[in-house]
Amino acid sequence: MIPIQEQTVQKVAKACFPCKPLNPTRNANCRASTRLSRHAAVVRHLIFAAPSLHVLVMAVLLLSSSTAIAQPPEPVDFGRQIQPILARRCYACHGPDKAEGDLRFNRKETVFSALKSGKLAVVPHDLSGSELIRRVTSTDDSDRMPPEGPPLTPSQIGLMKTWIEQGADWKEHWAFDAPRSQPLPTVKNERWVKSPIDAFVLSKLESRGLNPAPPAEKAALLRRVAFDLTGLPPTLDELKSFLGDESPGAYEIVVDRLLQSEHFGEHQARHWLDVVRYADTNSFERDGPKPNAWRYRDYVIRSFNRDKPYDRFIKEQLAGDELPDGGNDGLIATGFYRLGQWDDEPADRLLAGYDVLDDIITTTAQGFLGLTVNCARCHDHKIDPVPQRDYYSLLAFFKGVTPNGNPNPQVERPVFETDAEKVDYDAAMKAHKDKLRNFQATITAIEMDFRKRVGSTGTVSDAVDLCELRYRFYRDSWESLPNFENLKPETVGKLDGGFFDLSPATRETSFGFVFEGTLVVPVDGDYEFSLDSDDGSRLTVAGAQVVLYDGIHSIGQPRSGKISLKQGPTPIRLDYFQGVGGKGLTVTWSGPGFERKLLSEPNDNRDASARRRKHRKEFESLIASKGPTVLGASIYEEYKSFVHQLEELRNHKVEPPSALCVTESGPNPPETMLLKRGNPQSPGEKVVPAFLTILGGDAAVIPPAAASATTSGRRTALANWIASSTNRLTARVMVNRIWQHHFGRGIVRSPNNFGLLGDPPTHLELLDWLAIDFMQGSNFTEGGNSSFSGEPWSIKRMHKQIVMSGTYRMSSRTASDAASAKDGSRSTSLSDAIKVDPLNNLFWRHDMRRLSAEEVRDSILTVSGQFNSKMYGPGVFPEISDEVKAGQSVPGSGWSDSSPEDQVRRSVYVQVKRSMVLPILSDFDFADTDSSCAARFTTTQPTQALGMLNGKLLNEQAVAFARRLRKEAGTDVYQQVSLGCRLALEREPDESMIRRSLQLIDALKTKHGLGVEKALEQFCLMIFNLNEFVYLD
Amino acid sequence: MTVPNFCGRTRREFIWQAGAGFAGTALSGLLQRDGFHSSLADSPASPLHQNPLAAKIPHFAPNAKSVIFLFMYGGPSHIDTFDYKPAMKGRDNQTIDVKTFGRGGHKNQGRIVETRWDFKQYGQCGKWVSDLFPHVATCVDDIAFVHSMTADSPIHGSAMLMMNSGKILSGSPCLGSWVNYGLGSENENLPGFVVMLDPSGGPISGAKNWSSGYMPATYQGTILRSKGAPIIDLNTREGTTREMQRELLDALKDTNSIHAGTRSDNTELAARINSYELAFKMQKHAPEAVDFSQETAETQKLYGMDQPRTLDFGKRCLLARRLVERGVRFIQLYSGGSHNDANWDAHSDIKKNHNFHAGNTDQPVAALLKDLKQRDMLKDTLVIWGGEFGRQPTAEYAMGTGRDHNAYGFTMWMAGGGIKGGVSVGTTDELGSAAVESPFHVKRLHATVLRQMGLDPNGLSYFHGGLDQKLVGVEHVEPIPEII
Repeated sequence: MIPIQEQTVQKVAKACFPCKPLNPTRNANCRASTRLSRHAAVVRHLIFAAPSLHVLVMAVLLLSSSTAIAQPPEPVDFGRQIQPILARRCYACHGPDKAEGDLRFNRKETVFSALKSGKLAVVPHDLSGSELIRRVTSTDDSDRMPPEGPPLTPSQIGLMKTWIEQGADWKEHWAFDAPRSQPLPTVKNERWVKSPIDAFVLSKLESRGLNPAPPAEKAALLRRVAFDLTGLPPTLDELKSFLGDESPGAYEIVVDRLLQSEHFGEHQARHWLDVVRYADTNSFERDGPKPNAWRYRDYVIRSFNRDKPYDRFIKEQLAGDELPDGGNDGLIATGFYRLGQWDDEPADRLLAGYDVLDDIITTTAQGFLGLTVNCARCHDHKIDPVPQRDYYSLLAFFKGVTPNGNPNPQVERPVFETDAEKVDYDAAMKAHKDKLRNFQATITAIEMDFRKRVGSTGTVSDAVDLCELRYRFYRDSWESLPNFENLKPETVGKLDGGFFDLSPATRETSFGFVFEGTLVVPVDGDYEFSLDSDDGSRLTVAGAQVVLYDGIHSIGQPRSGKISLKQGPTPIRLDYFQGVGGKGLTVTWSGPGFERKLLSEPNDNRDASARRRKHRKEFESLIASKGPTVLGASIYEEYKSFVHQLEELRNHKVEPPSALCVTESGPNPPETMLLKRGNPQSPGEKVVPAFLTILGGDAAVIPPAAASATTSGRRTALANWIASSTNRLTARVMVNRIWQHHFGRGIVRSPNNFGLLGDPPTHLELLDWLAIDFMQGSNFTEGGNSSFSGEPWSIKRMHKQIVMSGTYRMSSRTASDAASAKDGSRSTSLSDAIKVDPLNNLFWRHDMRRLSAEEVRDSILTVSGQFNSKMYGPGVFPEISDEVKAGQSVPGSGWSDSSPEDQVRRSVYVQVKRSMVLPILSDFDFADTDSSCAARFTTTQPTQALGMLNGKLLNEQAVAFARRLRKEAGTDVYQQVSLGCRLALEREPDESMIRRSLQLIDALKTKHGLGVEKALEQFCLMIFNLNEFVYLD
Repeated sequence: MTVPNFCGRTRREFIWQAGAGFAGTALSGLLQRDGFHSSLADSPASPLHQNPLAAKIPHFAPNAKSVIFLFMYGGPSHIDTFDYKPAMKGRDNQTIDVKTFGRGGHKNQGRIVETRWDFKQYGQCGKWVSDLFPHVATCVDDIAFVHSMTADSPIHGSAMLMMNSGKILSGSPCLGSWVNYGLGSENENLPGFVVMLDPSGGPISGAKNWSSGYMPATYQGTILRSKGAPIIDLNTREGTTREMQRELLDALKDTNSIHAGTRSDNTELAARINSYELAFKMQKHAPEAVDFSQETAETQKLYGMDQPRTLDFGKRCLLARRLVERGVRFIQLYSGGSHNDANWDAHSDIKKNHNFHAGNTDQPVAALLKDLKQRDMLKDTLVIWGGEFGRQPTAEYAMGTGRDHNAYGFTMWMAGGGIKGGVSVGTTDELGSAAVESPFHVKRLHATVLRQMGLDPNGLSYFHGGLDQKLVGVEHVEPIPEII
């Protein structure tokens, strides 16, 4: 195998496949279209179709072969070396979606048998008989394949030739087969093998004539493993004890301690939050907060800390609400469905609903299965064998999911940690209601008494039936009542008149209202409500729908409904919409002792509510002036205090702790239709919930849900299928993610894409071994005292498995530049290794990595001594400068600075506001929150340097760090500097480092006139900026 | 060499996809610069750092080197500015059947609000322009008006995203990001994508309007200010002099160099060392770029900097020219910020609102065009004027002259950078309620911008989420041929 060629294969363009015009928004960006250029489209009809007219310079694609090390050709790996070329360059016309000339390169039988033209695309061992080779090597532009884009590179053609000469072995794409149980490979240097992982890695290295790098120095290893497992630097004590412990088990003690640390969950959670596009807000104009999203974040942290088995972790997120033992975790975990961006004011509501489902499908398929099923929204997947039908069959699992909404029971459910908490809440709620009732009763009694004494003419009609009445006004056209919770109100306000009132409407047609308030029920009894409206309306009292009068109609035929009510304040709600024509609303109620009292603004007398308001005002001023004398000063004061307290009570809501969660429309979701071209206006055939065909899926068997059920049970079926050891991808995808965060890249470099356009695994056998090991939880017994042995799907165990390996413990340098190659192993020289394997595909050393955004911020806070390790709770808001906030349309909106203590909490607790990410986090490549982020970028930009040098945070932390040094090292500058280096770099500084630091301090003092303290602060700032500070060896 | 460690997510495969007209030499150059000959350039863990903003050779010979996008945030009314509708004369307050869709939902009827301004003809081309823009009117022979723009959404949130990133959902890179991704930057001492906000505040959705979305942050817009430190954190802290910072940087460089010395194959380390030098240079160059004292009084006057009304926008227009001179690729200026009448969102009183915003910007915009022209820079600089949508011909409310949003038809104009002058393409109906003749979707505008910058709109792609994402989306999108 020639390494350079491998790379070239990967670098070949992902072919651009012609996509038909489509509608949907999210994916409306498939590979398109220049290929369907005018010239080419007309003439493509034969196998290996027509010419394209443009010529590309082939020479530039020639690969320098000088760097390749000559070796006899190894067997060409079809899946890794040939299929990607076919997928990227040939599938457009000869693939899953299209079969020009009846040839499909994704179907073995068409490749090896006679085609329409009578020719054979591939004849094993026969280059001249293989039409494929003739066409890709043709020098005739009109004959050569592929017809568009540059020709295949010589190295690609070489690979194809070798493959055919070797017999054209054909295997299906690796990822669609189940992981295969792998025997451990034999190796020459057995002494190096510390774990099964090492056998897989070393055997590949040896086959390429490479030796692994020597072990990392202890300090470097400690820093590496501490950051990889917990995201924080080790303490000096931890460093000291590790350096001082020469026993063979010293490292394992460290690993076990780190795995037990609560910081482990915080760090691992952040990786997962990237995958599930976690944010605390919705994006778009308001970028409003998602209520209680932080509980999902805390749930993820706790899950990792408790080593929740991964299969359970999946089930809880996808269907925790349906799990019989789901509990609060199960409910909170389904926040998964609600984390995506959400436009509360979309231009096309139907399409927007499908966009949200697409976001769920995309995240589910990429996150758990490493498949870009999302590419099949509008048409069959162009590359992977995922038909469009599969996309909609997957969508059917989610069809019952209610739309996102503003805070309301549709997206929020109460969660109580304990039964006692629930009891407490119920009691508090009851007490609150009782209090309200008592205050109201007392106030009414005093007012009645007052009226009697002053001979006021006030009647019962003065008493307000509706209080605390608020409205939300909406503008749009409907033909029936919408779910207003999903819509953005145009205006909101208070109604003082005590009537449902349409007058806040700013137009005559196409609008809607939601009124919510409190109905004062005079006595326990049966009440009848009557509703007449133009157009539709719905009256809800005490949480129950009493009258529904939906649809377009005119006034004149009121509907009514009865309900028993308890005396006291009772929630009431009226939904109303005006569609076309006139408007109108009449609501009355009858009960013990009264008939047909109006609850709506009287239509015949538009001044009634004004009059009522006036009466009330008059009464209030009357009681204010005469109250003290008529009632007596003390009773009047009491009265005033009651009125005040009632007002206070009404403003104070007793709210249960709630979770952002999924809900469904009921046991029977609406039918799911395949949408032609992804267009919601073009429904096609009906589909039912079914698993992906490429993974051997079938229609899902879903037990019929009880009529009283609140959900369909579909998501449980999906969760069980994904979280199963028979699923071919689930375990592989997760072990690859765990691996990725220890080595800087996955065994599959594209962790969200295991399909044909993803990167092939560099160590497939290792990946499979890890996946099976993960699912089986077989024992790993180094040292014999492992804390996590035997657990199937144990994430902590998998971490330990990896970090205990010799592969993980290698130095990032080779023997030639790492002076301390202690075990004297036969190490390859750096230049040789780079020549053979420049990308370190084979893991001949450990790759350095830059700290993530969170690690940068958290380690600055840790080193300065300011870090607040408090865990959990609602998001915190570290200070953002006015200059940054000036970019908002309402500067400061949605971001009020937290207390100083909270500002130095760990980054995972910082509020994730989609439209305004904390600058130090965004500077260092925080995840894009709008779609699943498989891997962070590592950019290097001058703006990072500016923030690190001149930003307020850095300078404040430098001051704090200097203070710490003075406190802990005393006044001696040598000691201060020496401690500073140790704290920040977690190693003993060499003398030259200290000398340079002292020189800096000295120069700042002598040349720039800085005082002792200021000079030390500048040194601290310098330390934070060191490459060594932000890079791990 | 370019191609950074994009987490293995992207290779600049767009070059492979560029269709006919793609010159071999350009390909060759691009490949070399892109590190396509290098096998080292493809991994997140790759030790070889390559500057993703290094200047790149375009797909074909560009007409423009830089873009200045004058973003009239809120949505200026086309029928009150450049889309002359004489047929509406005398019909004020008439109720008519007309389909509209704005923030107030769909309507089938409305009350005409006749334009409150007179129109006159200007230039060789005889373009009708309203009295809102007496200065811009004198430049019509350099301007191509597109009167038949359409967009997917008449709601600010999604419409802003559409105009800036081509999608109505958030999470995609903005036009300026694409341009920098495709072309790199010519001046490493300044950001390649600069945004200048209105003093009243940012647009809704804030940073989403200059986000690089799924691309690395390298390509996101940088806010530049004409007052205070031009770039956030550019100035040293109080009490820290530039010499002092140099002292610190020297010590930093020394220690970093020793660290990098034993890790010599990791060029990321060298790149980070270099980024501090760039930052230091930026501290010098950015203030120089915003130093108006280098401009003559005459020039400042031309831009209206001598009058309070036009001082702010004039400054920013002049700054835009200075940035173009310094090689900045993409500059976006917002006229209007915050909410309601702080921008062009004239829901209640079209007259008051548009008189205000046009009055603040008319002279500076015209000055920018004239100044660019007199310096022979207009030919290389593509100037775009417009908002996220237009406004309806009918009233939003029962009373008053406010107009709701309109994405069915609106006007944008372009000048310079190879765009024809004195032409008007596309029309709306006699009321201006919807585009009727040759409607041009926002994507066509984006395609035109990329095309003029020398990039193939259907070839410029970025691999994300299993797809080759493009600014213009899935369909093959042609630039607007009539104005090129």
